[in-house]
Amino acid sequence: MLNTTEALIRIVDLHKSYYDGEAELPVLQGVDLEVNMSELLAVIGASGVGKSTLLHIIGTLDRPTAGRVLYDEQDIFTWHDTELARFRNKEIGFVFQFHHLLPEFTALENVAMGALITTPNDKAVYEEAASLLEYVGLSERFSHYPSQLSGGERQRVAIARALINKPKVVLADEPTGNLDRRSSEAVLELLWDLNSKSGQTFVIVTHNQELAQKVDRVVQLVDGKIS
Amino acid sequence: MKFEWFVASRYLRSRRKQSFISIISIISIGGVALGVATVILVIAVLDGVEHGLKDRFLSNEAHVVLSLIDYGFFRDYQKRIKRIEALDDVVAASPAILTQTGVFRERTDAIQDVIVIKGIDPAQEDKVTGFSTYVDGSTDFLNSELIEKARLIRDETITGGIILGGRLAARLGIIKGDVLRLLIKIAEGPVHGALLPDLANFVVIGFYESEMEYYDNKLGLIHIDSAQKLYGVKERANSIFVRLTDAELAPRIATRIEDVAGFTVLEGMPHARTWMEAQAQLFWALRLEKIATIVIEALIIIVASFNIASTLIMTVMEKTKDVGTLRTLGSSRGNIMRIFMIQGSIIGMIGTILGTALGLSFCWLLSSNTARPAYWYAFVLAVPILLQIFIATQRVLPNKGGWKLAAWILLLVGVGFALYCLVRPISFVDLGLSQIYQMHQMPIKVNWLFVIFINALSLVICWFATLYPAWQAANLKPVEALQHE
Ligand SMILES: Nc1ncnc2c1ncn2[C@@H]1O[C@H](COP(=O)(O)OP(=O)(O)OP(=O)(O)O)[C@@H](O)[C@H]1O
Ligand SMILES: [Mg+2]
Repeated sequence: MLNTTEALIRIVDLHKSYYDGEAELPVLQGVDLEVNMSELLAVIGASGVGKSTLLHIIGTLDRPTAGRVLYDEQDIFTWHDTELARFRNKEIGFVFQFHHLLPEFTALENVAMGALITTPNDKAVYEEAASLLEYVGLSERFSHYPSQLSGGERQRVAIARALINKPKVVLADEPTGNLDRRSSEAVLELLWDLNSKSGQTFVIVTHNQELAQKVDRVVQLVDGKIS
Repeated sequence: MKFEWFVASRYLRSRRKQSFISIISIISIGGVALGVATVILVIAVLDGVEHGLKDRFLSNEAHVVLSLIDYGFFRDYQKRIKRIEALDDVVAASPAILTQTGVFRERTDAIQDVIVIKGIDPAQEDKVTGFSTYVDGSTDFLNSELIEKARLIRDETITGGIILGGRLAARLGIIKGDVLRLLIKIAEGPVHGALLPDLANFVVIGFYESEMEYYDNKLGLIHIDSAQKLYGVKERANSIFVRLTDAELAPRIATRIEDVAGFTVLEGMPHARTWMEAQAQLFWALRLEKIATIVIEALIIIVASFNIASTLIMTVMEKTKDVGTLRTLGSSRGNIMRIFMIQGSIIGMIGTILGTALGLSFCWLLSSNTARPAYWYAFVLAVPILLQIFIATQRVLPNKGGWKLAAWILLLVGVGFALYCLVRPISFVDLGLSQIYQMHQMPIKVNWLFVIFINALSLVICWFATLYPAWQAANLKPVEALQHE
């Protein structure tokens, strides 16, 4: 926790508009934001203000209309698609409101998937995936398919999946938005525990008051800008 | 590639709520299999016919036949044969007198048939064509028992023996020992001005049974000495038949044979005709048939590959969300593209392998069975092909009235064609082959190189069919794919 003041991600004057034919729908209109190493940052804001859009751009799933996103001072959107995919694979983990597990694969395989893309050594990957599943409390569920798991269990598998490549940054978009109170708490416990143990950086979009109170910093998105 | 295989093969195996896709994949597999199986079978049959024809033809006929271009008689044929036999790659050569003439039945004076008479030296001829293996009876043209007997009991002069094509003899109603009268020339008779046929009597000493239409139906073999006597051409012949170590060498050696034969300008221009020239039309027809088959079957495989494409397009639609997820996990476009290409290629591969197995087992069935494939063959082929085309057009064509109509018309035309095939199946009779080559069994010859070629072709076609859907999947926008419902 030494370098908490050093900016890992620097977002500079970020713009994003959607186009419907000629009509422009500006969503992000000059977002400036720094995310520090090992920080647990919460992004809040009204529905439809552009929180998910921002998170997708930080996660390189989408390109901005204008502006820059710098990781360790590297302007990632100057990179080619393949390099971005590689970067996403190695450095970023996603957790969404909906679990987005692949229905044809078991819990273990879903967790391992991100590592299997680039690693030829399955054995080590599956061992790692198994220990992650144990960590999220699902040691009995390795060979279950997503349809055989409860909502909270699925979300915990999704968290384990986000961690398989030990990413520097974990991006979570309303990770508890779809869960009941007890499951939510279990998931939140996990996130805090992870952040304190691994020193990974977390950016969490949330409406959850409890979560917003316990994070290092909260930023609010209003009218396309950080306020 | 390992990751892509892992995902693609799982998608292929999964059965969840996509039974429709599974049915289409089965149809795609079936279509590819059918195309591959048919082409293997048909080509094997055509190869078999060609091979059988060549075999039969070459065992009845010399590889090269030397004659003057006006088919005139020439002297010194034994000397010329010595020189030809001294050439490399020449096994043997033999003289012959080839003519056509009319035959008279005993005690009639009307020409009953016109046949080809080949006057040969039996010992030399046997080295070139091996004709004696096809003779049912004696090959002793001058002193056979039957000739002796005929000379004893008849008051006519007997010139010698003749071996007649088996079918010709049957047509003329002749048995061994009968006398056949050949027309030598038309001469002036005792009454001034009246013309009489000058006839020679031959005793039928054997039948020629080669199962080649031309020989069995048209040929009469006599001794060259008798032929020379009949035509008054002592010590002359009009053709030299040559056998080579390898029939395929004929075109190269033909001109050398012309050269060493040593004809002077006065004697005339020599021409050495290869067996290929003699049968060019037939083999050309077979080749055309083969090309047509390959083209048609390639089209069938292409139609089947449309089904693969539409299967994939639907899979991509169904898996859009998964594609989004895989992209968030860091799959590149290349990874996504390969997943779907592998999935389609596996379908193509299964179809190709099944088709090869099916085609080869059909070959085996037909070659071990004397049944002709005619009716059921056409039926078995036509129905699935039609279904195939119909389904493919339904899937691939835009869902508009005009196109739908076109698909229905196609189906109707197809059904019509199938019915036509049922009533009048495409067969060797139509090809004119049964006239030349009397088949007792389907000739089948599997060319392994061709089987490999058609496998490769099928795989390439299927692979091409995967490109567009895979490219589509690769270009899905991650965020939109993720939010796809
Ligand atoms: N692909 C798209 N095309 C057009 N408009 C879009 C697209 N995606 C998002 N938008 C619009 O952009 C705006 C921001 O959307 P976004 O999903 O980022 O909001 P959000 O802050 O995450 O809201 P919520 O809290 O409800 O999830 C919305 O008005 C939405 O309609
Ligand atoms: Mg959102």
